[in-house]
Amino acid sequence: MDARPRHLHPPHTTAITSSLAGITTRTNKLISVRPLRARYTPEVGDLVVGRILEVQAKRWRVDVGSVQLAALPLSAINLPGGILRKRTETDELQIRTFFAEGDLLVAEVQQLFGDGAAVLHTRSLKYGKLRNGVFVAVSGMGGGGGVVRSRRQVWTMEGANNAGKMDVILGVNGYVWISKHVETPKEVEQKHMGITNLEENVSATVYSSQNDAIDGDTMREIARLRGVVTALVENGCRVDEDMVVRGYQEAVEMAMLSESGQEDIYLGGERGEQLAAALRGN
Amino acid sequence: MADRRRINGPPGSTMPPVFEDDAGQPEVKSGKGRDRAPTAIRKMFLKTGVTPSASGSAYLEFEKSNKSDVSGLKLSCTVHGPRSLPRSSPFSPHIVLSAHVKYAPFATKQRRGYLRDPSERDLGTHLETALRGAIIADRWPKSGVDIIISIIEGDQDREASKSQGDETWDMMNALSGCITVASAALADAGIDCVDTVAGGVAALVQDAGDDSTPRIVVDPIPSEHEKVLGACCIAYLPTRDEVTNLWFKGDLPASDAGLYTQLVENGIQASRNANRVLVECLGETTS
Amino acid sequence: MASSQHVLLSPAELSYLHSSLSLTPPIRPDGRSPTQYRPLSAETGILPGTNGSARICFADGTEAIVGVKAEVEKTKRRWDDDAIYSENQPTEGEGQQQPGRDGDNGEESGSSEWVELTVEIPGYRDDDSGTIFLGQMLSEALLADGGFVRKLRINRRFHWRLYLDILLISPPLSYPLPLLSLTTHLALLATRLPKLKSEGDEDPFFDDDWAAAPYLYPRDPSNKQKVVERPPVTLLVMAVGGNIIFDPSKEELAVADVALAVSIGDDASTAQQIQGGDKMDVDSFSHGSGSGRNLKLLSIRTVDPPSRLTPPGVANAANSAYGHAQVVSSAGAGGNSQKMPEARQTESEAVEGVWKPPRGGAKAIVMGALVQKVLIRGGVADEVLDALEGVDTS
Repeated sequence: MDARPRHLHPPHTTAITSSLAGITTRTNKLISVRPLRARYTPEVGDLVVGRILEVQAKRWRVDVGSVQLAALPLSAINLPGGILRKRTETDELQIRTFFAEGDLLVAEVQQLFGDGAAVLHTRSLKYGKLRNGVFVAVSGMGGGGGVVRSRRQVWTMEGANNAGKMDVILGVNGYVWISKHVETPKEVEQKHMGITNLEENVSATVYSSQNDAIDGDTMREIARLRGVVTALVENGCRVDEDMVVRGYQEAVEMAMLSESGQEDIYLGGERGEQLAAALRGN
Repeated sequence: MADRRRINGPPGSTMPPVFEDDAGQPEVKSGKGRDRAPTAIRKMFLKTGVTPSASGSAYLEFEKSNKSDVSGLKLSCTVHGPRSLPRSSPFSPHIVLSAHVKYAPFATKQRRGYLRDPSERDLGTHLETALRGAIIADRWPKSGVDIIISIIEGDQDREASKSQGDETWDMMNALSGCITVASAALADAGIDCVDTVAGGVAALVQDAGDDSTPRIVVDPIPSEHEKVLGACCIAYLPTRDEVTNLWFKGDLPASDAGLYTQLVENGIQASRNANRVLVECLGETTS
Repeated sequence: MASSQHVLLSPAELSYLHSSLSLTPPIRPDGRSPTQYRPLSAETGILPGTNGSARICFADGTEAIVGVKAEVEKTKRRWDDDAIYSENQPTEGEGQQQPGRDGDNGEESGSSEWVELTVEIPGYRDDDSGTIFLGQMLSEALLADGGFVRKLRINRRFHWRLYLDILLISPPLSYPLPLLSLTTHLALLATRLPKLKSEGDEDPFFDDDWAAAPYLYPRDPSNKQKVVERPPVTLLVMAVGGNIIFDPSKEELAVADVALAVSIGDDASTAQQIQGGDKMDVDSFSHGSGSGRNLKLLSIRTVDPPSRLTPPGVANAANSAYGHAQVVSSAGAGGNSQKMPEARQTESEAVEGVWKPPRGGAKAIVMGALVQKVLIRGGVADEVLDALEGVDTS
């Protein structure tokens, strides 16, 4: 839905009053108000992390933190067995083998309904079910804090203290996924040269809900990163790749100075404020 | 001023009727205290299949105590299910268990109404916790099972009401009975369980007498003792050696660690004894 | 509805959480140590119309308010009360089950009907089983030893009837028991009852000066902040794969193997002599903390862990979506026919990385260890009680 100001016409005046508090932008005769704090409003092309709430006849209802549930049609997902596999009735009956209630997935907004509800799709090898990690919800969108739309929403970073690589997915809707690095299709391609192999290898794992074995060090660093994201939000900072990466480095340094060393990953309360202050100061 | 238009009652106040209590009876009260061994539970009668229209049912009766006015516990349980959930309910990958416990209005000295009161709902919650551990829930997605228990006669001493005692200790006995009878009814209904779960109660009691130290007894009848310091009700799975529900209430000094452990041990023992009866009863019906 | 909230997490997340909490030392999602409580802010005296009130907010936004009101009530006299009908003496010593009307010290004890506790959780009916379970648990802790109701007695004909109204303000994001219990504890600490001016058994009348009103839980005359005997508090403690974790959040509770709600209170007889040296003071548990007082165990209940209500994960081997690819490519090497026995297999075997809701119960030893950890003198329970005592209740 466009953020058109709803016109209130107080009697005897021609003033235009907005119903939302926020930052106004003007283009010719069009005045738009971007709210300071509001629920996520989907736009076409957004990368979002969502949770399945309902399973209906041929589609799923996904919670993306917006006013309405988004829809993910069965026709909009990659069916295992290759791109060219036809959708059969068995697929509709076994719809829960793909996504069941409670599953987390990363998807892209394909289009919007008239009332502003989003329609998602996962027709790319980088979208699909999420596993091997933790979920954080960041509330508040817009200028003050929260996740901002930026160039890179997904990146991989190196963990400190013997941890492996970690993937971070910052959904534009404020839902964040931090996980152990999973090999992307490109990396798999480099290892297995055949193209048919590639499709099937990827499809085999994309609907799996089985976690790989993750070692304790990686788990600790993932927990630390989650703490960083939460601390940024609680203290009103922007959450984007730059801030998160810097925050993580700052957190690792703070831990080195503390008594329990690297085991100390708690970043709530005062330590979170300390972290945010350090970041703003730089 | 006398009212001439109506028939008046007697002038002045009247006293409410006062009934003679049974304590004045000349007969000697036999078995004033507890006459069973501290680790012996009361004998029970358990039978399944008493309600043909239900998927499963069972009836349990505890023996009366030696004291003349103490009633035994009588419970009836019916199980309906597994049956499909209503269309409107959300998808559930496992069976949805709901347990209801109700005292019949005439079951206790103080009449209970027809609507469930908080203590009965509380018993229902405890029962659900105890049974949820035993049932293999993921064999029955999108289904529900209802367990309904009627307590026909509660475990109450008619005289005990004089002392305004709490009913909580009676509730514990009732809960352990409920667990055992529900387990029998579930087996009768053919619902898969990992093990039969039975309930047992152990209590720390203090008897009358100047120098009596508190001791632990199982399956207590509160009126047989001067004071109950604490009691616990345990739901136990004997083959797996696991506890699905534990409810302890009372007053135990924290410094005495062994006391709590001993109480739980005794409760588990009582539960094992009850389980033996349960298994025997189920064995009879199948043969 | 079970006594816990249903948490929506994917099987992959649940399995990750379980592994994370089963490590040594456990890694909690928010990075706390196993005995660390979440920061909270507490204040008392927020409701001027009550005898005592308190409000606690947790860091995650959950908030609860408790108000305590008291009213004078005429004690029900029984027909055989020797003050009224002198000819009908009740025969004593007939194996009365409870401390009867004459308590241990010759004074009358109270009745549990003198305390009415109600819990309100937004979005739930007040006769909902979960709400009632919470209410029963909290009132059980208060009434377990009979000492509390004795404080409410005014004289032989009158007593105070106490109404404890517990309101959870925010929607329940985590199991609300510890929050409600801490807030109730604080409200009771701050409760004052008007000072009695009448004497003996006459109709009671009180001092109008509220500043002279004594606390329900009297303060130590030498140190105004210290309380002689503290009200009970209920702690939620859970165990996952050998680790014991305090103050679990909703996600942590969703993967618990077993969760217990333990109520503890001050041991009144040793509270009078703060330094111990009593016959109940067993040295095996003293950790050298000077302020540790002897605790007593008031009630324990198992909380049905929401882990039983979670959706199970499907192992790769039995996942038909996973298997499809292999069936297509390997020309059906018995892929379909193996599905049935494999489905059965996944029920009994635990595959690493796949979440399975727990079956059965918990070992008695594990539960015993949980309880012991709570009761350690100078341990978590003492810390929580001391922290609450520090809140200003003037």
